Amino acid sequence: MKLRILAALWRLNVAEELQYRANLVASLLGTIFWIGTALLTLAVFFRHTTRLGDWDYWEVVVLLGVFNTLTGVIEAVLRPGIGRLAGEVKSGGLDLVLAKPVDAQGFVSFRRLDVWRLTDVVLGLALAGYALVRLHHVPTVAQLAAFGLALTAAVVVVYALWVALMSLAFWFVSVENLSVLFDAVYEGARYPVSAYPGALRFVFVYLIPIAWTTTIPASALTGRLEPGFALVAAAVAALAFALTRLLWRTALKRYSGASG
Amino acid sequence: MTGTVDWLRRYGALLRAAWLQDLQYRASIVLWLLWGVTEPAVALGIWWAIAADGPVQGYARADFARYFFALMLVNQLTIAWDSWYLDSWIRDGELNFRLARPIHPAHEAVAENIAYKARTAGMILVVWLIVAAVWPAVRLPFGADRWALTAAAVLLAAALRFFISFATGLLAFWTTRATAIMELHAGISLFLSGRLAPLALLPPAVARVAGFLWFPYMLAFPVDLLTGTVHGAALVQGFVGQVVWLAVWVGAYRLAWTRGLRKYGGVGG
Repeated sequence: MKLRILAALWRLNVAEELQYRANLVASLLGTIFWIGTALLTLAVFFRHTTRLGDWDYWEVVVLLGVFNTLTGVIEAVLRPGIGRLAGEVKSGGLDLVLAKPVDAQGFVSFRRLDVWRLTDVVLGLALAGYALVRLHHVPTVAQLAAFGLALTAAVVVVYALWVALMSLAFWFVSVENLSVLFDAVYEGARYPVSAYPGALRFVFVYLIPIAWTTTIPASALTGRLEPGFALVAAAVAALAFALTRLLWRTALKRYSGASG
Repeated sequence: MTGTVDWLRRYGALLRAAWLQDLQYRASIVLWLLWGVTEPAVALGIWWAIAADGPVQGYARADFARYFFALMLVNQLTIAWDSWYLDSWIRDGELNFRLARPIHPAHEAVAENIAYKARTAGMILVVWLIVAAVWPAVRLPFGADRWALTAAAVLLAAALRFFISFATGLLAFWTTRATAIMELHAGISLFLSGRLAPLALLPPAVARVAGFLWFPYMLAFPVDLLTGTVHGAALVQGFVGQVVWLAVWVGAYRLAWTRGLRKYGGVGG
């Protein structure tokens, strides 16, 4: 999709949202409440242990920061965009999208920007930064670069997961709450994958790749991983993206429109 | 007595309608169910890792497995989502249609609750039986008296959560952020109702505060009854707590309903 169109869409969205400035406060309070809940959850676990999957408390907090950053991307762009797909496949509303002279997947995915939810991105990164201070860890330039690349890869993987799950709507037309499936899967990304039993770890790395969304970027930032590993993350993201693009094309062929 | 028969007939019809309606949305219901069990499943995964080197305050791995399996079942049996519906009904005016019917909207909600829970809890039970066949850790000690007590506690917890949900949903008469209040309540209940951990593993001060509120009676108490960890005085105290808090929330609901309806103008009213 052309960047010019995307910019125009998002400009409209921002202009619309700016009318509702109280939502910024509500969004901020919501994020702070969520982060507080997550930290208290960790505090309960760490009352009874000193390490979780061999990660110490502040390392897991870095991961929480990454989780929250990705949550911001999800809530600002993905849920209000591609998250509505299932309902549109059911009602036939997707007709209106397909009739537009733009790439359908691009338009469906990036048509909305709930700008206030970007507070989650800011607060998430701030939380990760604060945890790094508490770890007395100053990332090297290589680690920062690896983090940047791994985080970008994580966004792509999260996006691929959304596309893959929402494409199911073309097969299971009557299921309107498909986005719930993403929430269920993503719940597992709150903690380092090394904390889970072996079989589950395998699933999270290779089958439902949520390990690449939080564990890998956080590891890159804290120096748990060789910076070069970020290239593997990028390759995984590229593969995930290509596969879901293929899936989208296959799925779209099944769509029969409002009259079908 | 004709009154009772009348009500049985009404509920029969409402339940049948709710059951058939759910039948259309079988796949959606499975997804909601899946979503409902991931949180306890993830919590179990974490406690499982923590308990690798030995029991945590008396909770071994098998105890955690039993606790969280019981939690999945009890949570599904007691869950209430009415606040979300009420919020949107009040804001978009759908409540008008429901008020116009010759039966209080709460009865329809109760029937929908029962139909949904019968279906989903049945699914969890089947899965549990299959898992228990291969994994002894999640098997429960069987005793008819304990199952009867648990059934009573689950019923009270379901009623309690229903009235909490209904009463907070009615806040939509006064504010557009009723769902935010519900989220806040859900966040607190994550800790105080035992969704994250058995209450015994929380900091003692927090567990004490929880004891003065309604949260443990929503989940933790019936779960502990089911897994067989409450006895004697604690058992009596648990039931008393459930009944007292149920009465309080029924009162809150009645207050919100009568006051709210007086204020309600409906859409365009």
